[in-house]
Amino acid sequence: MVTTKQAIISWLFLIILTLASVYAGKVLDNNVMFITAVLLIVFLKGQQITDIFMELRNAPRMWRLLLLGYVFIIPGAICAIYLL
Amino acid sequence: MLQESTLMSNTLIASSMVQVSEHQVNEPLRNKRLPGDLAMWFFILAELTVFAVFFIGFAVAEQLNSEMFIVSKAKLHPVAGLINTLALITSSLFVALSVRAIHSGNVKRSINLLIISQCVACVYLVVKVWEYQFLFSLGIDIETNTFFTLYFLITFFHFMHVLLGMVILIFIGINTKKGAYKEDISGFESGACYWHMVDMLWIILFPLIYII
Repeated sequence: MVTTKQAIISWLFLIILTLASVYAGKVLDNNVMFITAVLLIVFLKGQQITDIFMELRNAPRMWRLLLLGYVFIIPGAICAIYLL
Repeated sequence: MLQESTLMSNTLIASSMVQVSEHQVNEPLRNKRLPGDLAMWFFILAELTVFAVFFIGFAVAEQLNSEMFIVSKAKLHPVAGLINTLALITSSLFVALSVRAIHSGNVKRSINLLIISQCVACVYLVVKVWEYQFLFSLGIDIETNTFFTLYFLITFFHFMHVLLGMVILIFIGINTKKGAYKEDISGFESGACYWHMVDMLWIILFPLIYII
């Protein structure tokens, strides 16, 4: 069971990551680094939502891996499309 | 002597009962449990798959029409996208806290947190409607070009999911008030997980449309 403190810390982390992804667009000139950084942030945010908000951290492994796989594979595929 | 042995045996029995009850209480916590109903998780997977097709399609279309997408993206308001992201993340937090409250049996707190989550979600609705109106005022609509076709299609489809999520959570809030989740809260958890899915989709959608 996720505690209130864990949920609030996760929320703060999500806010910081969101602002970081916007800031990355202004700081990083290198397109490859920028796209990779933004999509890596998407994965980290997706992991927080999956494990903390959805509470899949304590769920059967298959379901957790399905959701984590989604937030890894889809941004990964988008990254590949943009960079290849 | 007899009294002492009776007392000891009673103490041992009481001690073993405490151990058994603690074991029974802690056992479900050690087991891995999927929150909500299994059917809802299959529905969530189906929804995620549909959006995955949209996301990949958008990225491919951008690679094929990169100039048009750069010019079109410049007409969007990144701040509106940022406000919507913050609104959905915050709304998700309140829903997660509401689930925590219903787990603890605190019905009133759970309902209050659901109400707050819906108020925050309304920020998303208002900003999105404003954004659509702003684009319409510039003479931009779904037929303007490929970017705006995909933009309106994907964001409006997501908008409809937000509305559905809100209806589900309002329904859950009413049921909570009626005392429907005193024993089995899987329905409550299912609605909450659907809402987090809507949030997760926006987290991919936001950088794809507004940032990259």
